[in-house]
Amino acid sequence: MLGASPIETWEGAGAIFTFAAGGASLWFWLSVALCIVPLVVSLIAESAAESEHG
Amino acid sequence: MTPEIQAAIDMTTSINLEVYYYWCTAIMILIHAGFLMYEMGASRVKHTLAAGTKNILAFAFMIPTFWMFGWWIYLSMTNGFTPDFAAGASGVPWSENMGPNLQDNATGVFWGAFTLFACTTASIMSGAVIERIRMAAFIVLAVVLGSVVWNLSAAWGWHPDGWMVKKWGYHDFGASGVVHMISGFFALGVLINLGPRIGKFNDDGTSNVIRGHSVPMTIVGLMLIVVGFFGFLGACVLYGGTAQWVNIYGGPTTLSAICFNTLMGVAGGIIGGYTKTRDPFWMMSGALCGIISVASGLDLYYPGVTFVVAFIGGYLGPVFAGIIEKFKIDDAVGAVAVHGMCGVIGVLAAGVFLSGYPTHAEGIPPISLYGQFMGMLVMAALGFVPGYVLSLIFRMMGILRASDGVQLAGMDVEVPIPAYPESMQTNNKFV
Repeated sequence: MLGASPIETWEGAGAIFTFAAGGASLWFWLSVALCIVPLVVSLIAESAAESEHG
Repeated sequence: MTPEIQAAIDMTTSINLEVYYYWCTAIMILIHAGFLMYEMGASRVKHTLAAGTKNILAFAFMIPTFWMFGWWIYLSMTNGFTPDFAAGASGVPWSENMGPNLQDNATGVFWGAFTLFACTTASIMSGAVIERIRMAAFIVLAVVLGSVVWNLSAAWGWHPDGWMVKKWGYHDFGASGVVHMISGFFALGVLINLGPRIGKFNDDGTSNVIRGHSVPMTIVGLMLIVVGFFGFLGACVLYGGTAQWVNIYGGPTTLSAICFNTLMGVAGGIIGGYTKTRDPFWMMSGALCGIISVASGLDLYYPGVTFVVAFIGGYLGPVFAGIIEKFKIDDAVGAVAVHGMCGVIGVLAAGVFLSGYPTHAEGIPPISLYGQFMGMLVMAALGFVPGYVLSLIFRMMGILRASDGVQLAGMDVEVPIPAYPESMQTNNKFV
């Protein structure tokens, strides 16, 4: 996590987000994964409800 | 003019643009607040929080998925289904434009506004399917609608380089087709596979009215949606800096034009809904019907035309809902009628009243009834087919519809807290 800054000075800076200089893809794929996990959570909750009431 | 003064003017223009779309986006969130109230109010007590959870998740899932691939689809798919990778390069999530960038004041606020359009499309479908759809299937359907299908429709018909615009002069200023028809017809495709709520239809073919638990909440929610529409329609106008405002196609317009016609559309729709039903639910749904029925031409209509067409939309909304019900389709909030069918009116009305208006660039045909009619067909198909096919797959997998037992107990059995202290579960199919 250290060294995430893509800039050393504000002078003429463009993209200033963390990991703009490299390493952003890890966070992209983590974001993708975190969108899939709740689908699984939802399916588990649905299955439990179906078992109890279905 | 010195370079310093020019730079100051340029920076002021950039910041004005940012401020304008930033607050349009904030106001558009009221659409979602309104849909949230609308859906929860339209649900029976035992389904209230499941409906609310579903709506909130539609909002939440739209944002990251629009960042991951939605914006890229809009920028790159203007030719149809073949992506233009060069045009979409700035929209991939690892682009320097898709995060804080001191050289780019525009991408974030435009992305934000388009994301909120996506949230609106998902919310429209969300209301139609309450009280029986399963959550995981709904989330996937919402993402496909909001972060894929709406982006395709916008790339084709709501972009100066969209193929429908270049081929037919398709004009859809306020998104009657690209948002409302797409969502309404997508919802129709899902509803066919999802089936009705338990108790909605009788064996003899007649139907029962299933009342939500809070009509006042529903009505206030609808009014919030109307407020949010000012952000929505305001975001359909592009800030021109030192020049005139332009519509999404680059044609000149003014915010005053939008103000005239949005207000006249709201009023026409409410009065049309009242004339038909005297029912406050359909009066406020009529407001949506009214705006949607005139949205394609809001930038150009005479306010008197807007009022008359919106009145017709507000009057016909409940009629469309009745017709849809005759086909044994249970649309819990009238989304197909309000958004799908009034969207058809909106697209075609622009063809009737705006025929002959020049478009934004040389070589692009003027607005015509033929172009609008063809655009209407494309929007209906583009909305319906993915909704129908995907929901059919989910139905075959057995993950689309909650079992009768869960529906009778109430979808809130999946939610860890009750909606109200007096909430109770009941197996009465009408309660």
